[in-house]
Amino acid sequence: MDTFSALMSGFAVALTLKNLMWGFLGVTLGTAIGVLPGVGPALTIALLLPATAGLDPTGALIMFAGIYYGAMYGGSTTSILLNTPGESATIVTALEGNEMAKRGRAGPALATSAIGSFVAGTIATILLTVMAPIVVDFALKFGPAEYFAVMVLAFTTVSAVLGASAARGLASLFFGLAIGLIGLDSQTGQARFTLGIPELLDGIDVVVVAVGLFAVGETLYIATYLNREEDKLETMKGSIWMSASDWKRSWKPWLRGTALGFPFGTIPAGGAEIPTFLSYAIEKKLSKNSGEFGKGAIEGVAGPEAANNASATGTLVPLLTLGLPTTATAAIILAAFQQWGLQPGPLLFETQPQLIWGLIASMYVGNVILLILNLPLIGIWVKLLEIPRPLLYAGILIFATLGAYGLRNSWFDLALLYVIGVIGFLMRRFDIPVAPVLVGMILGPLAEQQFRRALAISQGDLMIFVSHPISATVFAITVLVLIGPPLYRRLAARRPANP
Amino acid sequence: MTAPPLNKGELLISLGLIALGTFLLWETRTIAETQGAAQIGPRLFPYLIGCGLTLFGAVLAWQAVAGGWRNVPLDEAHERPDWPAFVIITAGVLLHMAIIGWAGFIIASTLLFVLVARGFGSKRIARDIIIAIVLAIVVFLIFTLALGLSLPKGPFGG
Repeated sequence: MDTFSALMSGFAVALTLKNLMWGFLGVTLGTAIGVLPGVGPALTIALLLPATAGLDPTGALIMFAGIYYGAMYGGSTTSILLNTPGESATIVTALEGNEMAKRGRAGPALATSAIGSFVAGTIATILLTVMAPIVVDFALKFGPAEYFAVMVLAFTTVSAVLGASAARGLASLFFGLAIGLIGLDSQTGQARFTLGIPELLDGIDVVVVAVGLFAVGETLYIATYLNREEDKLETMKGSIWMSASDWKRSWKPWLRGTALGFPFGTIPAGGAEIPTFLSYAIEKKLSKNSGEFGKGAIEGVAGPEAANNASATGTLVPLLTLGLPTTATAAIILAAFQQWGLQPGPLLFETQPQLIWGLIASMYVGNVILLILNLPLIGIWVKLLEIPRPLLYAGILIFATLGAYGLRNSWFDLALLYVIGVIGFLMRRFDIPVAPVLVGMILGPLAEQQFRRALAISQGDLMIFVSHPISATVFAITVLVLIGPPLYRRLAARRPANP
Repeated sequence: MTAPPLNKGELLISLGLIALGTFLLWETRTIAETQGAAQIGPRLFPYLIGCGLTLFGAVLAWQAVAGGWRNVPLDEAHERPDWPAFVIITAGVLLHMAIIGWAGFIIASTLLFVLVARGFGSKRIARDIIIAIVLAIVVFLIFTLALGLSLPKGPFGG
């Protein structure tokens, strides 16, 4: 009953006119940037950080959350009509969705992804509401050793387990950790790696890194390698509404997709790619129309889209309850909390219940707004796809440079922006994942703090990490996660397939 | 089986990581250590991170000479880079950096916009300039008046 009354007081916050407006602004902006290729939620929130520093944190965070899950809705539109996934998590949607659009069924494809996103988003928000207090209760037992352990687990899963290569993921993570070191040491106040440059004393701002990697790096990459081909925009023909058979074929994939996506979001394994691919494979196997897969099967849109949205909401469980970001966007949202001196975690549920529960309640409202924005108004969003590529990227760079320069009106940040942009370009070119840089950069200094606190408590005895049962368990899981998959692959390779 | 050609780009990036890691280890020595044996000072983490960068740089360097990095998706687009586009956009960003202080946000952003659009192959310069000026003015007004950011006005400001 406690959770229920907390949620109700959250609704009292979320339903004030001001916060409704922030939520509406967030989901609208989120849908727009989700639709636009080349702009994602991490970039958008990073760009808005300096401009929102002076605002009330509750409203701004409601807007940021709206941008995050709004982008998940909008991304599907691009995949379906353009076959260029606006979001990495909507790659699978493009497989079947674009085929449906080519066959004149763009309407039902857009509808099943919007309604599926709504179903998944709402169920996932209910699960978040129920789970958050439980995780918080558990996390109140955490000391510095336990926090350090879960952070190491998050580092490992984000960099080594996901993606094509553990070595590239870990190199990317350590690069991010190195960026995080620059500036004054939080405990002794000593300058580290500032090279005598006064601008570096405050460290490198997360806005510069995120915008450099996502906007400048991406723009350079697209212009250099992908600008020769023309995109082919499928038109919206016929009705947007789904037929009775579409509904019948969609509702189970929605629920299955949600069931897959949410847990993947909550465990620190980040990213929505895995659950969307799993959902696609499962729907293909279970469908009576599996012959239609590859030619526009609606199940192949409904399932992955639900999985995608559920996992985005699931990501907020570790972020809000433990302060643990597992995706690039979650890392930027953590940076947003920090900009107001707030640290997400169990204590925030006690000190700022209005903010946390207002934020959670706003997500119920936001999902309803998104359903309205994405069904009847879909025609407006499709117009965004008609912006010519040169103008789109030129516009992106205006906002990118504005974001970096606006921090403190210094050309130094613009130089840094370009250097990081070139690094982002190279990372994209050589298939090095970018998310670990941001997670490492933002979570690294917090991990160092917890590590040093833990050792201050134990008077320098490293055994503290193994003698505490929770931290020992988490470290054991980390080792398992790290050596498990390669070991399994090696064993599987040694034993030829037995039927 | 013939050995695949050595991927120079991959090797260079790996060596860059090793260099960065080594630099970190070198610089760490200049951070003064705090007193007291029980205190873990500001040196340990930089040391660990320097080791990590060097280690994974070495692993990647080894992979680069031994058949190339693992699981890199083949992309035909990578065989035909459009370097002029890269150079034009770079020029746009660096020019913007150089002049924004005295020419102001609107002029610097307009030039940036036109150059980036040109980098993406736009031939309609008149259209680009008009859109650039309108966009720059609108953005300038929104961010300075509504959001309270201070941006350089340039010679026409006031």
